[in-house]
Amino acid sequence: MDGLKAALLLFVASILQVAVLTQYAAFRGASIVLVALLSIALLRGSVFGAIAGFGTGLLLDTATLGTLGVTSLLLTIAGFWIGRYGETTARDRFHAPFLSVAVVTVLFAFGQVLLQFMLGEPAPAGLVADGLPLALLLNLVLTLPIYALARRLFPPRQLEDRIGEVRLLG
Amino acid sequence: MPRNRTVRVAVLGSSVQRAATPGYTSNRSGAVKRRIVVAGLVLLSFVLITLSFRSSALDGVQGTAAGALRPFEIGADRVARPFRDAAGWVHGLADAKSQNAALRKQNEQLRQQLAQTQSAMKENAYLKQALDYHAAPTPADFGTVNAEVLANPQNPLEQTLTIAAGSNDGIAAGDVVRTPAGLVGVVDRASPSVARVRLLTDGDSNVNATDAAHPESVGIVSSGNGNSTLVLDNVQKSSYVGVGDVVMTAGTLGADALPSMFPRGIPIGVVTSETDNDIDPYHSIQLRPYVDFSSVQSVIVLVPHKGR
Repeated sequence: MDGLKAALLLFVASILQVAVLTQYAAFRGASIVLVALLSIALLRGSVFGAIAGFGTGLLLDTATLGTLGVTSLLLTIAGFWIGRYGETTARDRFHAPFLSVAVVTVLFAFGQVLLQFMLGEPAPAGLVADGLPLALLLNLVLTLPIYALARRLFPPRQLEDRIGEVRLLG
Repeated sequence: MPRNRTVRVAVLGSSVQRAATPGYTSNRSGAVKRRIVVAGLVLLSFVLITLSFRSSALDGVQGTAAGALRPFEIGADRVARPFRDAAGWVHGLADAKSQNAALRKQNEQLRQQLAQTQSAMKENAYLKQALDYHAAPTPADFGTVNAEVLANPQNPLEQTLTIAAGSNDGIAAGDVVRTPAGLVGVVDRASPSVARVRLLTDGDSNVNATDAAHPESVGIVSSGNGNSTLVLDNVQKSSYVGVGDVVMTAGTLGADALPSMFPRGIPIGVVTSETDNDIDPYHSIQLRPYVDFSSVQSVIVLVPHKGR
């Protein structure tokens, strides 16, 4: 059920991102998809986050007729990493979604530059750096409502559900 | 039990080996499973990148999938359009008064120019016919396909648009794309129902262009810094280009074995600065494009009339 809900949420976010958000030059830096994915990864863990990231990246690359796999790779790593953060240190901390979004927004932008560069495509890092402060601000503003929505859709697991995630020594 | 033994020693110093918690092995296998999943997905991403970048094996599947997404994108755009129009209306209201006065003045000038241009055009047509003159193709020699823009650039690195028309509408890679204002770019990929347009602001875009007022000044327009500037390069210092001049596509010059893909006469932008230095053999020219690449809503694709 969680998988279906996540697929629906990320599909809607992707369509909004591609068809609506990019129409407004001022909001182009914002990534509603990235914020939604990180919120889900924080609440549902690394494997869930990685799979969701891969699927969402594939959807975005397909919709824009871009090079398949580029966004998938970045979102898979982002989903996995933030999922791990959620499983370990970030649980129930208020600042966790904001910190995750801030860090991943920066790394995602420069990850794209790196991949473009490695593919031999033009990779003007200066342009990305110029747009980064606005992108960061917009993503942080989006984090509050989107994380709240994700928390309603994916309520934090009870103790007995998540106890298996803790490695017991002895 | 010895009398001096404390509770702490009883607990921590006990040599009694406890059985391993059953959860330990399951957690270890969970960690392995987690690593396998993420490594598999990363590997799959690399395979997709390689296939997509180096071959066209996935183009058909991607095109079909993009076509399936098209109704959702159009639906989302339709829902958002009233809000966008309202925002545009409010924005336009703020500077409408000042724009109105400037446009009235411009309208008067253009009306005078129009009369002169119409007369020159008639004369031009008559002389061409009289001399049996064969000119480079112009936009009038092409058919047109009008298409809605489904997706604008996602980030500064991807200077592409996705449009709601494709090979089913006669569009093919290499077709020139414009708006009434000016040149937008070239179709990069065409699937049956959608196509991708590489913008003029992309680092790989280059257009053979000329100064409309001084046709002997020919150069290459390429991307500048950001999407509000273009650069006109390779213009010899012996040629003149003035600030305020209109730059347009040059088309094919002479009997070139490789004709230009751009028909002559599509406006590109206006010259905003022109500087020279002793080292560079060419002028250093910047343009302000006529098209606002940050928010293109619809485009016109120029399609050749006959077989390609």
